[in-house]
Amino acid sequence: MSEKTDIIKRETTVPEYSSQIPAIRPVVDIYENEDELLLFADMPGVAKENISVTVDNGKLVISGVRNLHRPGTVTQEEFSDVKFHRTFSVPQTIDVAKVNAEMKNGVLRLHLPKSEAAKPRQIKIA
Amino acid sequence: MWTRVGDVDRMFNTMDLLRTRMNRLFTDYDNFYGDDFGWRAADGTPRTNLYDKGNQLEIQAEVPGMTKDDLNIKIQGNYLEISGTRKSDAPEGYKVHRAEREAATFTRSFTLPSEIDAEKVNASLSDGILSLTLPKIEAAKPKQVSIS
Repeated sequence: MSEKTDIIKRETTVPEYSSQIPAIRPVVDIYENEDELLLFADMPGVAKENISVTVDNGKLVISGVRNLHRPGTVTQEEFSDVKFHRTFSVPQTIDVAKVNAEMKNGVLRLHLPKSEAAKPRQIKIA
Repeated sequence: MWTRVGDVDRMFNTMDLLRTRMNRLFTDYDNFYGDDFGWRAADGTPRTNLYDKGNQLEIQAEVPGMTKDDLNIKIQGNYLEISGTRKSDAPEGYKVHRAEREAATFTRSFTLPSEIDAEKVNASLSDGILSLTLPKIEAAKPKQVSIS
């Protein structure tokens, strides 16, 4: 009897930590001009090392994990550890090799330059 | 009859297991639909955490995109006020596709659970989180009482 019970109990205590951090979509601003698309995302508390930005097949995924340090007992807690995660469709005209990202004061800034072929061109009449 | 207790026990364990699995299922479901409503809580002020460390209190607040010049902290006794301005960082000459991040000013005040030594308060800003270390005054610190 005890052996079978143990197996069941062991299974219940296996931690599946990854699924315990809630994932939320960060708020973003998206701007565009002739040369590039510009994306700002609020991800307060996420360290630069914990951010990943991938562009694959017209899909841009930004993701970052926030690990807060808890210095003592909690008196009041309105925000906690989360995973910021959001997916966007980006036009194929983005020059993936030149995408550049920076993180400043908890805001991710993403520059997505358009490829030369996609930029508007003035055509002169010969 | 008591020889059957093991079976009953096992059945309940299995039901517990099922319940845990079901709970996890909903967590996963939630994960895909979670939404962030920006850096401000419902009343328009940054979300804050307050921790008690015994000798000191520590406050953390979400202030993404703000620099130390944008923030103002006032302390008197056990009253704390954090105010600030988030300036718009919209670039010039760009077409706007999406604007979810708001620029705003806010003031949030707290009545702290104990009096604070305002001279020794330390504030720091990293990755959009403001951290305040607030040492309690001597009278409010926990005391060790030895038995005579």
